[in-house]
Amino acid sequence: MATFEIRSLVKRFGKFTALDGVNMSADAGEVHAFLGPNGAGKTTTIRCMLAILKATSGTVTLFGRDAWKDAVELHRRVAFVPGDVNLWGNLTGGEVIDLFLSMRRAGKPDKARYDKYVSLFDFDPGKKCRTYSKGNRQKVALVAALVSDAELFILDEPTSGLDPLMEKIFQDSVLELKQSGRTVLLSSHIMSEVEKLADTVSIIRGGKVVENGTMAELTSKARGKTLEELFLSEYEGAG
Amino acid sequence: MAGFSNYFRFILKRERAVGLTWFVCMVAFEAGLASVFSGMFSDAESMRAMAFTMNTPAMVALMGPVYGLESLTPAIIMAQECLVWFFIAAAVMNIFFVVRHTRADEELGRHEMLRALPVGRLTGAASTLTGAFALNAAITLASALGLIALNADGATAAGAFAYALSIGAVGFLFAALTLLFAQLFSTPRGVSGAAFAVMGVFYVLRMSGDMNGNALSAVSPMGLGLKVQPFWLNGFAPVVILLTEAAVVAAAALAVCANRDLGGGIIPARKGKARASRFLRGEFGLAWRLSRGTIFAWSAGIFALGATYGAAAGTIDQFAAGNEMFSKMLASAGAASVADSYTAMVFAIGALLCSVPVINIAGKIRAEEKRGRLEQILAKSVPRERMFLSYIALAFVTSLATLALMAIGFYIAAGGMKPGALLTAAFEYLPALWLMLGLTVLLAGAVPKLAGLIWAVFAYAFAVFYFGKLLRLPELAAKLSPFGYIPQLPSQEFALVPLLVPALLAVAVCAAGVAGFGRRDVG
Ligand SMILES: Nc1ncnc2c1ncn2[C@@H]1O[C@H](COP(=O)(O)OP(=O)(O)OP(=O)(O)O)[C@@H](O)[C@H]1O
Ligand SMILES: [Mg+2]
Repeated sequence: MATFEIRSLVKRFGKFTALDGVNMSADAGEVHAFLGPNGAGKTTTIRCMLAILKATSGTVTLFGRDAWKDAVELHRRVAFVPGDVNLWGNLTGGEVIDLFLSMRRAGKPDKARYDKYVSLFDFDPGKKCRTYSKGNRQKVALVAALVSDAELFILDEPTSGLDPLMEKIFQDSVLELKQSGRTVLLSSHIMSEVEKLADTVSIIRGGKVVENGTMAELTSKARGKTLEELFLSEYEGAG
Repeated sequence: MAGFSNYFRFILKRERAVGLTWFVCMVAFEAGLASVFSGMFSDAESMRAMAFTMNTPAMVALMGPVYGLESLTPAIIMAQECLVWFFIAAAVMNIFFVVRHTRADEELGRHEMLRALPVGRLTGAASTLTGAFALNAAITLASALGLIALNADGATAAGAFAYALSIGAVGFLFAALTLLFAQLFSTPRGVSGAAFAVMGVFYVLRMSGDMNGNALSAVSPMGLGLKVQPFWLNGFAPVVILLTEAAVVAAAALAVCANRDLGGGIIPARKGKARASRFLRGEFGLAWRLSRGTIFAWSAGIFALGATYGAAAGTIDQFAAGNEMFSKMLASAGAASVADSYTAMVFAIGALLCSVPVINIAGKIRAEEKRGRLEQILAKSVPRERMFLSYIALAFVTSLATLALMAIGFYIAAGGMKPGALLTAAFEYLPALWLMLGLTVLLAGAVPKLAGLIWAVFAYAFAVFYFGKLLRLPELAAKLSPFGYIPQLPSQEFALVPLLVPALLAVAVCAAGVAGFGRRDVG
């Protein structure tokens, strides 16, 4: 059974069609990269998966269950990192992490995991969120996600604003998740990150998935071109 | 001063939209209301009748002492009715202006960018102050000229300038005060919080001074501003005093500014806890944490308001003794009913104010959504309805708490009144508050794009209550306000049906709002 499966997903905002029949899926233990130019529909797809947006038509299932109807139950098994982390200025980072963990309703979080990720990301949880830089706000959501023992990680440009050192730590953490059989959906604009982490890839453009397959398939398709060049031609619509 | 003119031009550029809007609105109302008032009275008798209703304790407490009874003009009545509100509007404008260009800028890092330019340490503060002065001066001049041009009944040139200058001077004093707070506190919230608290204190001082006829009203800049008595005395001395006070405060602010670090305040921001307390768990914990500041601040404010009016209730006799016109009125109407109508009026105003925190908390989920925080919450194992109901429950508690505290404050300060009757009179407004709550929920939940409309409902309720009798609006206009059905105890009779209808309606719209929220897109 696929960990998540999206079939013919359509999402309209008024007259504007943001998603025009998206198909995508990933199995347990897979890191699935989700690529595409700005405004292609990556965030919209992810919001439909998380029942933040209601699909106009099509089906989205997580662990074989309907992502909209069973959202509250399903979210115990899901961790989410948005690309733009907006926090409460008068709460500390540590308070937000604890709050997020309590709202997952998946039991008491592991103290050792908490300490591990706080120190790995060199994060100061005692500061008010309004004083955090962009990268530090991102760390709040990342630490909260990684500490939670979820089965599906939905990461929407999770490393925007992280410095190269933190980027490296993030990549190591994702590889660890993969080894322990977790599924990761990684929307990203960073090609090196995708090359290093992804097993399978979907490329979306104008609300349609224009390419998908394993990294190996894509590499053979690239025929001498670097992956980056292949992606660029897909983005431009020439491929 | 290095870079002053560049910096000042930068401020002007950024004020094109907001500053201009304030300018247009302030001038339009300051000058425009004159024509409304000059058309309102047919003869001297109707003006005297108006002055009668304004010379009651509740009205004096609200708007300041009545003057110029010897030869009333519509302009004098306008000044008595409106001046104190313009002081408040000008204060709000100046507080926001200064916060915008000082602390809010520093927090967003824009200030650092500017400081990297060849700009002196004091340039930012000095340019902000100059900008505030220019804004107030422009509004003052345009309003005075507008008043003269409209040539309304009783609006002399000297009066027009006295009127506009008193507003400008009070406003600029608030700019200076806010600039000082911007040096002391390190967050925009801290700065505006302190400035608004001081504004409240000034208002209460004025109220108490005006009720008891003592010097406290001159201590408050608002009371001092009223002493100008535009279109009658046209006393310019208070304006000079206000501007001197502003200059002293501004000098103090600049002195502190010259000696502090960028980003720092004299009063440091507290360092927070690294772990969440037991109470910050789940959606209710979050809702409580985000609302408790509003709940505490408004509860304290409403309690103080109740107490202030209550204290004034005790001095109605004194007030009557020193006021010939009022004592005549008292004699003709019977003492009991005057005290009752005072209480009824105070509670009606207080209840309207209580709806502000109720609306704010009930609609918080929409504010959270717009700031992009709600999606992270809904990505957790959180039922949408439960998140919404947490805010609704807190708004409900707030409606009970604020009304109760208003009555308790009134009771304690007034002395010798029946607590049960006061509490009943206050709780009568619960259905109206619930209807406001329900409408907020309906708008935020089911039609989020129109969520701001609830403030139009609030403004309407306020306007109907305040101007309804004055403008002789039809009965229907009052009934369209959620507060329109509530019998005003203790001066009117108690009735159950007018309370049940809004209460049931509130439940219905609330349910519709929550259901709508469960079905719609978020973000
Ligand atoms: N609530 C909304 N109402 C109307 N249009 C929307 C809404 N949300 C997204 N869109 C539109 O849908 C399209 C897809 O946006 P989306 O945010 O999914 O892009 P994305 O692939 O995540 O882009 P990026 O790489 O910049 O993050 C865009 O054209 C966007 O303007
Ligand atoms: Mg996106």
